[in-house]
This record gives sequence, structure tokens and C-alpha cells, in this order.
Amino acid sequence: MSVAVKAIENTRAALEAIVQRAEERYEKRRQEIFRHTDRLFSRLMIGQWAFAVLLAWVVSPYAWQGMQKTIHLHVWVAVLLGGAITSVPFYLARTRPGEVATRHAIAVGQMLWSALLIHLTGGRIETHFHVFGSLAFLAFYRDWPVIVTGAAVVATDHFLRGILWPESVYGIANPEWWRFLEHAGWVVFCVSFLIMSCRKSDKDMRVMAERGAELEALSENAWRNSSVLDRAAADAAGR
Amino acid sequence: MGRASQKTVLALCAVWALAVAAGFVALWKYKLTPGPETAVATSWPRPSKLRAAGDRDTLLLFAHPQCACTRATISELAGLMAHYGDRLDAWVLFDAPAGAGAEFTRTDLWSSAERIAGVHVLRDEGGAEAARFGISTSGTVALYRAGKLLFHGGITPARGHEGNSFGRERIVSLLTTGKADRAEAPVFGCALSEQEPVRVANADHTVPRGNQ
Repeated sequence: MSVAVKAIENTRAALEAIVQRAEERYEKRRQEIFRHTDRLFSRLMIGQWAFAVLLAWVVSPYAWQGMQKTIHLHVWVAVLLGGAITSVPFYLARTRPGEVATRHAIAVGQMLWSALLIHLTGGRIETHFHVFGSLAFLAFYRDWPVIVTGAAVVATDHFLRGILWPESVYGIANPEWWRFLEHAGWVVFCVSFLIMSCRKSDKDMRVMAERGAELEALSENAWRNSSVLDRAAADAAGR
Repeated sequence: MGRASQKTVLALCAVWALAVAAGFVALWKYKLTPGPETAVATSWPRPSKLRAAGDRDTLLLFAHPQCACTRATISELAGLMAHYGDRLDAWVLFDAPAGAGAEFTRTDLWSSAERIAGVHVLRDEGGAEAARFGISTSGTVALYRAGKLLFHGGITPARGHEGNSFGRERIVSLLTTGKADRAEAPVFGCALSEQEPVRVANADHTVPRGNQ
């Protein structure tokens, strides 16, 4: 084998090693982000649950019939439905952090929390901001399909309520047929920018991983060369 | 993740989705279940201590002072009065069952109602006025013109839920055009009385609770 061919093969092997190392660095960083965000959401889920129970207890503790009072359904809903919404995302975040199913379950759970909080606050306009805040928070994953899952939950909720209970979605009892486009448009507006941001972050992460791998390879190469020189110098000194 | 493990997660998520969907359906059902329909006085009841305005429409809102669901109704009334306050003589009557002290009626709902410009707030002792007008559910609005009932019903889209509603749309339509597609709307709120509502054909003959 000629020296030139050997050099080409060595270079190819070195490049493949860098690519593999870059991929490993990229995957490791992604996993770190997924796991970290899973942990954040698991805490947020518990926080939202506690907040919902407190909110229901303070705002609507009892239902009344004359002087007789019973615990308001909102309190039970906050405890039981809130607990149910929290349970699976929390469990998966704790037992299977970093997995695809975990972050998608969290996306579903987070958007369900928006729906529940809107109910518990009596449909206040201000609580609807939770939807957009949650979508932005899901972008922490830097994984755009998660945002699509979150948006799909919002769309399903809007679709079903738009048919069964239009006032709760559109604020009027007889919305025009195109009214859903106005709501969907703002969600698409928000989601499209978040998806672009996720894709850009992911690309940047990959570039950083490649640069890191190249620097590592260079530094290893430099270390190897210096070791060879050190050994040669030591041999020369010994002679 | 192994295939068996994947199946477990999928099964867990499916059960979860069903449980959560069932919870939301129960919540929707509760929020969309109106109070019982009663025969509201079609003309101003003679025994009433309230007087209907002669120069504009009179709006009566009957409320349970502790009913959290009625908070949304008060909020909707505030919106209505902000736009059409000059066309209405509005009264909020807080139900005060026998034996209920001032602390029972002087709640945040009372304060919220008092803050609405142009609204008079009263205690309805023993629910007498509610009985005279044939009202049994907190959040019921009755609109009278020249002593004749124009509309009765709720002004929220669901129990304790703010937002436009059939009731509010009909009141606005009556105030602006003089007509509406229907003269009633479902009411979402707590029961004013522990007793079953009295259903009568002619509200002029209603009997106040306690004198039945």
C-alpha cells in the first residue's frame, strides 16, 4: 500500500471518528436538555396541581342551596382531575426521563392544565395566556414535534368545544363559520416561530457538537504528537 | 426502550387519556347543567316592594351571596351596564334566608355588585322577592319593560364561566332593537332555596316562601 493511499485512509478514518464523536456529543447534549426539561416540567406539574387546588378552595370552595353548603365540584376537579393530569407526565418524567414518549406526554399534560385552569378561573381571558406560555415552555425541549403535539391538544380542545360549547371558545354564542381560523391563526403564528426557533437551536447544537469534536480531535492529536516528541527527547537524553 | 416496555407506556397513556377525558366530560356536564326552569312572573308582581322604572327597562338580578358561580354573572352584568347602563334601572337582590346575618350577604359579590355604576343592591329578606318573581336559581336575570316581562334567564355561557352567552345577546338585542329570537336563556348557578322551586302558571299568584 502506497504512502498516499495510507494517508488518505488515515484521514478518512480520522474524519469518521470526528463525525461519530460529534454525533455522540450532540446526542449527549440533547439528552441532557431533554432530561433537564423533563425535571422542570415534573416540578411544574406538581406546582400547577397545588395552585389549582388552592385556587379552587379560595375562589369556589362551596356550592350552595339556600343555607346548605357542599364542597364545590371545582375543588374535587382540582384534586382528582388535576391529579390525573399530573400523574402520568410526572411518573414518566421521573422514571423515563429523556424518552420520546415522556416529553410528548408532558406536552399533552401541560396543555390539559391550560384547559383545566381556564375552567377553574371561570373562563377568564387572562388564563388563556397559559396556553401560549405553555407552548413557549415546551420549546425548552428544542424538539419541534413536542410543540406540534401541544398545539394538537389545543386544536382538539377548540374543535370539540367549538362544536359543543362555542361560547366558551369564541366568547359569542353564534360564531361565524370562519371564527375558528382567527383562533387557529394565532396558535399557528406562535407555534411556527417556536418551531423555527427549535430547529435553529437544534442546528446550532449540532454545529457546536461538530466544533467540539474537531477541537477534541485536534487536541488529542496535539497531545499524541507532543507525547511522541517527549519520548524522542527522553530517548535522546538517555543516550 | 424495549417493545414490552413501549407497550406498557402506550397502555398507561391510553388509560390516562380516557380517565382525563372522562374528568373533562364530567366537568363540562356540571358546568352546562342549568338550574330548574320556573315560571317567572310575566307581569310585575303586585305584592313586590320594588317599583319598576317608568322611563326605562328594569333589570333584576337575583343572586345567592355565597355562590361562587354568580361571580361570573356579576362580571357580565358589569359589562352590560358599562355599555347599556343608561337604558336600564338595574337591581341586584341578594338572597338572605331566614336567620342569615349581615356576614352571610356582605360578601365579595355584594361589594362587586355595589361597585357597578347604576346598580342598586338589596338584601332579599327570606327570599320574598325571589318567590314573588318566581326565581329559584342564583344568577337569574329578569328584564321588565312597562311592567311586562321581556326576558328571563342567565347571562353566562355556563356555570361560573365568563363570556358572551345567549342570555346576554338577547338582552342586548332587546335593548337595541326591541326584539330577540327568544325571551329566555338557561341559568347556571346555585339554588336560592333549600326547598324545591315552586312552579306556577301565573306568577301573579306566586306565594312567597314561608307563606305557602
